[in-house]
Amino acid sequence: MNCKEIYSLFSEYYDQELNAEARALIKEHIANCQNCRSEYKIFRKCIKILKKMKLADVPRDYI
Amino acid sequence: MNQTESDLIARSKSGDKDAFNGLFSQSQNYIFNFLFQLTGDVAEADDLTQETFLIAYRKLSDFRSESSLRTWLGKIAVNLFRRRCRRNKRNHNGETVNFEKIKIPSDDYSPERIIIKAELQWCIRHNLQYHIPKKFRIVLILRDLQNFSYREIADILGWSVGLTKTNIYRARKMFRDVFINGKCRAFADDFCCTCREITQL
Repeated sequence: MNCKEIYSLFSEYYDQELNAEARALIKEHIANCQNCRSEYKIFRKCIKILKKMKLADVPRDYI
Repeated sequence: MNQTESDLIARSKSGDKDAFNGLFSQSQNYIFNFLFQLTGDVAEADDLTQETFLIAYRKLSDFRSESSLRTWLGKIAVNLFRRRCRRNKRNHNGETVNFEKIKIPSDDYSPERIIIKAELQWCIRHNLQYHIPKKFRIVLILRDLQNFSYREIADILGWSVGLTKTNIYRARKMFRDVFINGKCRAFADDFCCTCREITQL
């Protein structure tokens, strides 16, 4: 797999949705490719930032 | 589904209001926040939350337990949100430009920290609301803010799991691009966003 194909699997890799073989392949690629390692770090960080969005207080009882 | 939940569903279907309360009172926070994340507006989220539970009450007899109640409610909420967007689009005359401005707290002993946190919150919400198309915004919220599984998201949106995977990836990449590459001029212009995209979504 080339870097572009690896990048397109970042999302499923993050969610652990890939099979063991694909997961190992990406892990190995990331370990050896500086650019993909850095891109994956940014990709993962952005998901973590998104998850920081605060919840709002529920204004009233709906039931 | 556990015994208590199936019992509450059966009783709710036969018109037991206490059972309905027991079944759905825990979901209020989830549904309101889900709709607030989608709309970015408290009043609209409030209105749509009320409508979601009204429909849930009326249509509970259609619930077949093929999905979880959480997924079923999510599906009702998404459909209401989509309908509201279509209606708003029809009523929109195209002349209004939305300008959003961050509220900077002034009375804290650690203002720098508060401002940074407020900026981040504002930026996440603003990017979601104005720089991510609706289809991808819904996917991001379902996956990363409401923690639905790929299968559940596919059920809610009526997609295949394959398409769901692709769209989750595309939505996250889009969020990464707008957040990192700064299509939004929020930081450059006194936190006031006047970018073109704001009028096009």
